[in-house]
Amino acid sequence: MSEPRVAGAAGRRAPVLLTSSASAVLADGRGDLCYARESRGAITEWGGVYAQLVRLTGPWTLELADGSTTTDLPSCRLDDAPFPGGWRSHHRWNGLSIVQDVVAISPPAGAVRRLQIRSTSERPVPLTLRSRFSPYLFPVLVEGIRPLEFEVRTAADDISVRHHGFGLRVATTVPPSRLTLDGRPWIGGQYRGALTAFASEHEVTVPAAGSLEVRWQLVGGLVRDLDAAVADAGGRVGSPDEWAARRADDLRRWTEGTPELEFPDAPEFERAYRSARTALRQLYTAPAPEMVGLVAGYPWYSAIWCRDLAVMLPALLWLGDFEWVARSLDTVFRFQSHQSLPMLAGEPGELPMQISPGPIFLYGTSDSTLRFPAVVEQMHRHTGDLSSVTEWADALHRIVEWGMGRSDPATGLLRHGGEAEQISETTAALTHVRYGIDSPDTTIWDSADRRDHALDVEVLWWETLRSAGQLHGHAADRERQATCEGLATRLAATMRDRYLWPEERYLFDSLRGSKPVARVRPNALRAVSAGLLDPSAARAAVDRATEEDLTTPWGVRSLSSRDPGYDPRAYHDGQVWTIATSWAADAAFSVGARARGIEYLRTIASRFEAEDGFANECYRGDRAEPYNSCFLLGFSVAPFLSLLFERLWGIRAGGMDDTVRVVPAFPDGWKSARLRGLRLAQGTLDLEWSPGTVTARWNGRRTLSIDTGGSVREVLPGTTASLDLPPFAER
Amino acid sequence: MLAGPVVSNHRFASLLRLAGEAIRVEAQFGTQSLEALAWVASTVGASVYVPESLVRTPTGLRFALANPPLRVGAFSSLSLRVDGVVVPSDRVRVRLGPACPWRETALLTPSEPLELAAGTPIEFDADWPLREGGGEITLRLEFHNVAIPPLVWLEVRGTPREMEFP
Repeated sequence: MSEPRVAGAAGRRAPVLLTSSASAVLADGRGDLCYARESRGAITEWGGVYAQLVRLTGPWTLELADGSTTTDLPSCRLDDAPFPGGWRSHHRWNGLSIVQDVVAISPPAGAVRRLQIRSTSERPVPLTLRSRFSPYLFPVLVEGIRPLEFEVRTAADDISVRHHGFGLRVATTVPPSRLTLDGRPWIGGQYRGALTAFASEHEVTVPAAGSLEVRWQLVGGLVRDLDAAVADAGGRVGSPDEWAARRADDLRRWTEGTPELEFPDAPEFERAYRSARTALRQLYTAPAPEMVGLVAGYPWYSAIWCRDLAVMLPALLWLGDFEWVARSLDTVFRFQSHQSLPMLAGEPGELPMQISPGPIFLYGTSDSTLRFPAVVEQMHRHTGDLSSVTEWADALHRIVEWGMGRSDPATGLLRHGGEAEQISETTAALTHVRYGIDSPDTTIWDSADRRDHALDVEVLWWETLRSAGQLHGHAADRERQATCEGLATRLAATMRDRYLWPEERYLFDSLRGSKPVARVRPNALRAVSAGLLDPSAARAAVDRATEEDLTTPWGVRSLSSRDPGYDPRAYHDGQVWTIATSWAADAAFSVGARARGIEYLRTIASRFEAEDGFANECYRGDRAEPYNSCFLLGFSVAPFLSLLFERLWGIRAGGMDDTVRVVPAFPDGWKSARLRGLRLAQGTLDLEWSPGTVTARWNGRRTLSIDTGGSVREVLPGTTASLDLPPFAER
Repeated sequence: MLAGPVVSNHRFASLLRLAGEAIRVEAQFGTQSLEALAWVASTVGASVYVPESLVRTPTGLRFALANPPLRVGAFSSLSLRVDGVVVPSDRVRVRLGPACPWRETALLTPSEPLELAAGTPIEFDADWPLREGGGEITLRLEFHNVAIPPLVWLEVRGTPREMEFP
């Protein structure tokens, strides 16, 4: 038998991730659905099948036995590779040639595995195939807890396993001849109790000089959806070829609808763009008919985290998937709290931290809610569609009221911290067993205590006010518009007044009460990107961030290595995060430091390349080694994609009044760049850049006004125009 | 008198408050969301502390968990409090099921942590004599993960059973 292999350290091969609209399969590529990865400092097994944001199984293995010998698939593996829509491995054992195909499917949501076994023997070869998996059946969001008790039932066509309202059904094209529960023979029927391993055996005979095929289908999620989905599919075990073809076609059509970028002077950026685009597509999820979004990452954040979703949606706007953005926003705002819900740490106006087709998981973060108004505003600028702007303005007004309730009337600063404590207080007297994480604060760096006024949270609050003001303007609500603009102006003044840190030529991380928190974190760069500082202070902050205590060759640390609290293994107090590298790039471009911005982007691109198209969440602070890191995180790919359009190409969409601003920031030495198929309002825009000139072709229904920073030009539908660019002011 | 002697006024008030909230959750998000929340709460409540596992031993107490509380990974320290008093770490031992050896929690370090995965059973044994004839006690465990600083904690209120000897 083969030894388990551990992923997560540098130099190991990439995992296998297969996704459908509502399911995922995780494996290590050796042949079984097993995937051991370092998580939170120790090895954890993440392999198996996931559906509807529920982990259905732990590792799922297949074995072959011929009466005298037995093998598992990893032990006889020859090679493996992805194919369009799925993954395939080849094996050879006892003269048998075995091809395994694995595909993620939906609906029903789950996976299909197929073994095609070919024999060259002149005699039939009897075999026993053993399938074994560990049922899990709990939302991925609840880390570390595997249910203890399950209900197992046999039916005519399949076997079901349930835990409360979560369930799975497994069916095969060859009925099982033997079942075991934790190694004990089971004659079938109904079982209720503890269960660690469910196994089935299937007797088959490979014909002389012939072949046979066996398929397993394992699907699940919420029982209420599962049974209907299985019934709709006719109860049959699906064909992996059909599922894979469907998935590949879906991906091809989606990709064709996204822009193409060409950077002849930096092909690594082209590769990184394509890689990040594909990675982001793998995060798409529609776990229920009215629930759409993107999962935060794999393996352990494979759920819809609203903070992460808000970070990803702008990239989808640049990729032209307006429909997915609109449906995702509809999904999230459907869960906007209208009442106080201490049990879930929810306040009126607040958006949740996590959502699923099953339970809603908690409100109570300081920043998730504040990230959405800017996305809503950006969606309107890209789509140009104001038909629902009044409804959106109302939803944003509820957020503004929520924020005002947490703000200091004198300074305008929003206060955060203590959000999770009320949950514990609510349930304290009710149960004999209580659990918790002493997390007094819930910003994006939620394992660090950054109370009371972290600068990046204040920037989000400012962006909320500004975005809400703009939407109220479009909705002709002048009173609310003026209120938001007034609050934003005062808040901006407070930030300029209270956060400058002259000794460090940087910005304080937070204010505790009114006392500055003197810690160097990359989060402060968000104030630079937002344009809140005067040019010299902004430039100084960007320069300070490039020092080696914060910037490493593999990205930007979450905390300066000179800080007494720095720990290279601490999640938010020392580890390098790719999203922080994106913040640094964004800030550098915003002050005109093109070369630095490009270097940060190149750092990120090199990580994508080193990680076979995946994008780790974070790395150790002292070496380029993923640590406590999801192997793919939307945080790590989406901001990079957005920066290519917003900063490198320098595009700002103004679809509501048929305008677009294009002020490229390509570095000296680049000779050309092309962008084809940028979706904007009711048309698409192609751009071709060479030093000093940009040529635009507009395929829309109305005239587009293009502002290049030095001049504005009207471009008629179906025409091409060449526009002069002013010299770039490198600072 | 609805609460009666078995339900304290404080607990009754909490129950009422929670019921009111549940109604609001159902009203806004539907029965299915509320039902699913109840599944999760029920599972979390039943899947960590092993019911009735708290027993009085000749030298102190023993109890067990069936899953780590809310977080997997490597834990560099683990502390136990009994009724708010910290039990010295050299008097607390832990093992990951009967087949594993006991480890003194004083010996846990970042380089020699306690590694917990989902589904890992954990047994605790403490030299901490309990008062004779005492009733309910409160145990509090605090776990410190090597990668994520905030403490993960678990509190159990229970009355120790007398240890049964074969």
